[in-house]
Amino acid sequence: MAEETAAEGYVPYRSRPEWKDITPVPQDDGPNPVVSIAYSEKFRDVYDYMRAVMQRDEMSERAFALTADAIDCNPSNYSVWHYRRKLVQALGKDLREELKFTVSVLREQAKNYQVWYHRQKLVELLGDPSEELVVTRDVLREDSKNYHAWQHRQWAMATYQRWEGELEFVEQLIGEDVRNNSAWNQRYFVVTHTSSLTDEVVRREVDYTLGNISKAPNNESAWNYLEGVLRGQRLRTYPGLLDSCEAMYTKGIRSPFLLGLMVTMCEEEIADGGPKAAECCSKATELCNSLATSVDTIRRNYWDYVQRRVKQTYQTTVPTAV
Amino acid sequence: MEPPAMENKASEPEAKLLVKQHIRFLKRTLGILPSSCESLDTNRMTLLFFAVSGLDLLGALDSVSQEEKQDIVEWVYAQQVLPDKGCPGGSSDVGGFRGASFLGMPFDLTKRSAGVCNDCSHVAMTYTALATLLILGDDLSRVDKRSVLQGIKKLQLADGSFAATALGSESDMRFVYCACCVCYMLNDWSPIDQDRVAQFILKCQNYDYGIGQRPYLEAHGGSTFCALASLVLMGRLHTTFSPARVEGLKLWCIRRQQTGFQGRPNKPTDTCYSFWIGATLHLLECASWVDKLWNTSFILSTQSKHVGGFAKWPDTHPDPLHTYLGLSALSLSGDLELHPVHAALNISQRTVQWLHHLHTTTPPHSHSM
Repeated sequence: MAEETAAEGYVPYRSRPEWKDITPVPQDDGPNPVVSIAYSEKFRDVYDYMRAVMQRDEMSERAFALTADAIDCNPSNYSVWHYRRKLVQALGKDLREELKFTVSVLREQAKNYQVWYHRQKLVELLGDPSEELVVTRDVLREDSKNYHAWQHRQWAMATYQRWEGELEFVEQLIGEDVRNNSAWNQRYFVVTHTSSLTDEVVRREVDYTLGNISKAPNNESAWNYLEGVLRGQRLRTYPGLLDSCEAMYTKGIRSPFLLGLMVTMCEEEIADGGPKAAECCSKATELCNSLATSVDTIRRNYWDYVQRRVKQTYQTTVPTAV
Repeated sequence: MEPPAMENKASEPEAKLLVKQHIRFLKRTLGILPSSCESLDTNRMTLLFFAVSGLDLLGALDSVSQEEKQDIVEWVYAQQVLPDKGCPGGSSDVGGFRGASFLGMPFDLTKRSAGVCNDCSHVAMTYTALATLLILGDDLSRVDKRSVLQGIKKLQLADGSFAATALGSESDMRFVYCACCVCYMLNDWSPIDQDRVAQFILKCQNYDYGIGQRPYLEAHGGSTFCALASLVLMGRLHTTFSPARVEGLKLWCIRRQQTGFQGRPNKPTDTCYSFWIGATLHLLECASWVDKLWNTSFILSTQSKHVGGFAKWPDTHPDPLHTYLGLSALSLSGDLELHPVHAALNISQRTVQWLHHLHTTTPPHSHSM
């Protein structure tokens, strides 16, 4: 360990003359510690000094520099990040330089809560979100489903009302991977916050989604989005929807999501006591059987439950039926 | 990083629970962890919880000596943040537990003159500390309940969600859950506004009926569990979600099963979701919809034959979190080699019985909120 750190040109804090006045504070877990970590020499050295300055709440350049080493050793230490935020303000540090610092950490640790929170606080202090869409986009290029990146992106967009270009961004991602559930979720976020779900917008979204479904009929994300934008509407009578489903079924498509939606549309008719209730009951029963026995067998218990529910609904809404 | 391809496995997937190996893995966790765990330095309390609760589910707590159990209890209590008088940047009357001793406070409480600057409790560490104490049969008499609850109160935000520390942090469903667990364990809901919690949870249910960490965020297995468990602990599941929302949520959850469970649509399966989603299905009273064979086969396939423990995927390095959640998920699915687990609190039923006993026998502390 010592050879390693010497080779890097790293000088332990306990050997630095400018730190002579500080007595390092070791961690104290008592005589019989548990869940002990075998820290490296460097980690121990850095944190013995980090503890010392934090206990005095020292507001100095050397403390600020030390936090960078402490973060490098353990980027999840939220106390060190908090202390660094105090130092940034006390020392009047350049907030944009500090934003650059977060990018250097994000490059290694894009799934770390503390660095994203630190960035959020800096943006709030600056009142400037102009980099956030770029930074999150870059992270999403590496991992298009990084939950932290999406969260930060949504926060920046909603807080500072930056919506332009997002629908295009989402379409690009869906174009690259139609199964990217995070992208579909972002689409819902953008559409509901900009145009809201007017009849015209819903029509556009339904057509867009059905187009993507035809490319990948077994893609849960698209089907969830379809039902999501139609929430509150009668699916069976939404123009063209039932026809589209039946056309896919006729073509031989046996996606569990297609069949599941068709069951839902049958249940609507039954619950409404509509003219096709009887036909829908037998159709739904047949679909549930198909789902349970061949199309979605892992969920057979669920589809058996749905079949029972369909029959129950039929019996309670159509009391004269056998 | 992609999960290893299933078809490349030369050997038979592990079909049985490797009890002895897991006991060894968890006992090692209690001891010394390698430097690769440095990034978990502030979370050692959670590692302790995974080890102790895991041993509890395995029926192996007695393989830990009485002495070592006492050492554990002492270490946990040494992490309690006690109300202190005016240290700048520290806590004043808020309590709770910290994750570990990384700020360098003396272990011996009698050696402490005042609070330590920049010190604060963390709600997830308070939850896991209390859980660990309860599992070991402690009666929580050394817990400063008033200051713990005061600490919880300080964490709730206007939108109903919770931050983790009084010094500020991100706020999301994880900490809602931890706060609810603490209130449940201390049998006192006065520090939190349950209505606001329920409203926050409602806003987090997404267009696909799954629940995200915050409003409009992607529905996710972890946040879905945290939300459901919180509502169940508050006794507000059916007063918050309409029957339609409940049915939609059930379907979202059961659709996460691929072999084991995934956390979001079109993502790979991962052992921990067998707990997050599995426990949610239990709380929704539809666990019978789970295909047990596929689920348990997947979880067992993520066991590490030589090192013990479970990993997120097969042929991947094990860790305490996936080990504990793998065991907990197997317990929920009815594995007879494991003690029954309480789905909402994620500790053994036996421990919950002890907790309920404490509720009936401990006089309530003075309420001065």
